[in-house]
Amino acid sequence: MKKERKRSAVNRREDGIAYLVLIIFLVFSLFPIYWMLNTSLKSNAEIYEKVPTFFPREIRVDAYKRLLFETGFPRALWNSVLIASVVSLMTIFVSMLASYAITRTNLKGRFFMSRCVLYTYLLPRTMLFIPLYMLAVKLGINNSLFGLGIIYPTFTIPYAMWMLIAYFKTVPKEVEEAAVIDGCGPWKLMFQVFFPLVVPGIVSTLIFCFTLCWNEYLYSLIMINDSAFKTFPTMLSELIVDDIFAWAPLMAGSLISCIPILVVYTFSSKNLTGGFTDGSVKG
Amino acid sequence: MKGDERMAVPNAPGKRITYTKIFPYLLIAPVLIYVLIFLVFPFFYGIGISLTDKKIGSSVNFIGLKNYVQLLKEPKFVTSIKNTMTYTVISVLLKVILGMAMALVLNAKICGRSLARGLLLIPWAVPTTVSIYVWKWMFADTGGVLNAMLMGTGVVDQKIAWLSTPAMAMSAIVLVNVWRGAPFIGISVLSGLQTISSDLYESATVDGAGAFARFCYITIPSIKNVLMLSTLVTTIWTFNDFEIIWLLTKGGPLNSTQVISTYSYQAGILQMDFGKAVAASIMFLPVIIVIVNIITGYTLKKGDDY
Repeated sequence: MKKERKRSAVNRREDGIAYLVLIIFLVFSLFPIYWMLNTSLKSNAEIYEKVPTFFPREIRVDAYKRLLFETGFPRALWNSVLIASVVSLMTIFVSMLASYAITRTNLKGRFFMSRCVLYTYLLPRTMLFIPLYMLAVKLGINNSLFGLGIIYPTFTIPYAMWMLIAYFKTVPKEVEEAAVIDGCGPWKLMFQVFFPLVVPGIVSTLIFCFTLCWNEYLYSLIMINDSAFKTFPTMLSELIVDDIFAWAPLMAGSLISCIPILVVYTFSSKNLTGGFTDGSVKG
Repeated sequence: MKGDERMAVPNAPGKRITYTKIFPYLLIAPVLIYVLIFLVFPFFYGIGISLTDKKIGSSVNFIGLKNYVQLLKEPKFVTSIKNTMTYTVISVLLKVILGMAMALVLNAKICGRSLARGLLLIPWAVPTTVSIYVWKWMFADTGGVLNAMLMGTGVVDQKIAWLSTPAMAMSAIVLVNVWRGAPFIGISVLSGLQTISSDLYESATVDGAGAFARFCYITIPSIKNVLMLSTLVTTIWTFNDFEIIWLLTKGGPLNSTQVISTYSYQAGILQMDFGKAVAASIMFLPVIIVIVNIITGYTLKKGDDY
């Protein structure tokens, strides 16, 4: 009895500490996001007041109006949507086929290939961007959305393959064996029996490929000079003219570009860290 | 050797899946061709360029390892190596500590846990450029909220020049990197913590083990693998980080936040000195390969890696 009570007292103290630490973490993590919202709704005069107001005295949507009607931001946002959608769909299609070949067939060199996938996934972009830039210039595809679309799969394909191989491995072989008895050909087996089984894995990989393209900055920075082809991360820097920061529109733009990502994360809570460590750790 | 076992099981005739010889090659061809052209070729092309004096609008000569030797003699590059090390070590260390704390808190029996988990992950989820601009605004000299808060609460009596003094600039980029990267470690470790059975803790408590002993003898061994893996991956990402530094300080003031990636960008894209720039970026390839090999060891089981 006495021991019970003592333990619950300890538990309560531990819980108290946990809540306190949690609150500190939450404030640290969320304050910048709140500040983005707060700034985007302020008038220019209020933004530069000596003591910043923690709640806008008067809610103003001027920054959003300016951003959407007087800058190239909507165009950049559209470019980002377009490129992220096309690249992630293409990536997922070719990666599905290749991952199927590696995990389900007797392809020669499949062990080596799956190892290479991890290498290419972890190979940093900073080691590739100059040769890739030179290659793009030679091919004449720099400074175009098409060129970005050609380059972006250098990071989406390794990621998608890594995820899909891990996912495909979890499906027992018996499923296909049963289908083969029914006289199913290889293409039909793959498209009509196997892929429907792995739809959840495919969807979450697709979503994360989308976010990888959505967030990409370095390639967009080096490949695109023309404002018409910029994606939103590089367009945001264009809102800064001669070191004069238009903070309210900048924060408004930042907030708008977070929306797709936050929606995606809300709907795919299971695979939050991009699945890097989920179930991929030995033992 | 799981694969062999499976093959050893005698299958009833007709049950084995047979594919035509060309089928797997057809499936892998698009990815293989793409990877050869846009990953494998540029990689070796880069190594080749680093051995030449290629610049824009001049003839190309093979100069062996001269780029590498010259880089190591250049004070600016040596500074950027030092800065990269400082930035990586401090950021990774802080991310591991904070990430662990985050995971432990999220693993405690508290209400609203899954909501808290989602909220704490937001810094990791928002686009990097976006988070950098918000922090840049909070660091700002005029209108910046951080200085206002620190002065308002009397912590400092003078504005801190966050991005324009060497020591503070390094602290600022580390702060942003940690803010962004800690949730990744946190969620990874949390997934490890959730595999530990609570019976283990209870029996240890009954045996008189304190919180610290339980942490050392139960928690740490159970999450060792996942912690190592996420730390190594984070190390690679931090080592090669470009956006945070470029958008916050552009390597300044006085090269105090110049790192290898920003150096390489300036030399390659802005000055078009391709040979030197590529040499700078792949000089540490051996280090990366060693880390990747360790990661591979953690993630792929022998004989089961397909």
